[in-house]
Amino acid sequence: MKRFGDFHEGECIALGPYVVSEREIVAFASQYDPQAMHTDPEAAKMSPMGELIASGWHTCAMAMRMLCDAFILQSTSVAAPGVEQIRWLSPVRPGDTLSGECRIINTRRSASKPDRGIVRAEVAVNNQHGVQVLAMQTTALYLV
Amino acid sequence: MRRGPLVRSRWFEDIPIGEFHVFGEYTFSEKAIVDFGKRYAPQTYHADPEAAFDSPYRGLIASGWHLCAVWMRMMVDYMERYAQGVQDGRRNGAGVGFTEMRWLKPVRPGHTLTFTHEIISKSDKIVRDKWGIIRSRNEAFNQYGELVFSFDIDILAERRPDDAEPGKESV
Repeated sequence: MKRFGDFHEGECIALGPYVVSEREIVAFASQYDPQAMHTDPEAAKMSPMGELIASGWHTCAMAMRMLCDAFILQSTSVAAPGVEQIRWLSPVRPGDTLSGECRIINTRRSASKPDRGIVRAEVAVNNQHGVQVLAMQTTALYLV
Repeated sequence: MRRGPLVRSRWFEDIPIGEFHVFGEYTFSEKAIVDFGKRYAPQTYHADPEAAFDSPYRGLIASGWHLCAVWMRMMVDYMERYAQGVQDGRRNGAGVGFTEMRWLKPVRPGHTLTFTHEIISKSDKIVRDKWGIIRSRNEAFNQYGELVFSFDIDILAERRPDDAEPGKESV
């Protein structure tokens, strides 16, 4: 179990790989983001991007799954009050293999809840060409 | 395969700051929470109704990313209704990113959220020759009137070409 005290400033945790299928892109978007550029490979050719791309929220969800598999599920994570910032830098396409890293920016004990500590991190997700698709700054709470 | 609609919207210039929309309501079922949780955020408190009772939340709660996904669905459905009759589907752009996302209160099975959307600013920056950036504040309130979810998002909107008439829908 990775506890609050096990996170260190500057630490870098590897994420992925996560292979993105067309089927998964369409399934997510059909439920949560039913725009043709995300749900219909043919109609997507008429969209601004000119091809099928994953919903940006799907990219966030996949990043979350990569973070869970890399360390969150084996940690004392209790909450995430939010996300400071996200940038969708490049589209995610069918067949992409995503990987990335989670860099710990800083850690501090909670003033109001002494059994918890606050970990701020910067998450970068890249595709197989080394192009960054997502940048995210997160804050999460872990038991000490 | 479902043929999804393109979200249609107005020119950048025609979207007024201060405009306020209520996208609508959505009730989170246990199944929807667990389906999303198992796939994308498999902590026990998102994915396992039994084990969730031993978590700090004393029960199942929706992943914050599930709230985001539902917000998107509410927006797509709302914009489809709002922009009916506009033939040109190319005027909306991609999301650029968001800031200050806050997950303020747990969302549990059976909770109903009301999603609101307010245009708060427009950037002078021009992206790739033809897009402007619209910033909106998005909030969701539960059935007790509590603010549970909030974020600001930047979305591209196409600038009106010089040859288009103000406010007129053209192809």
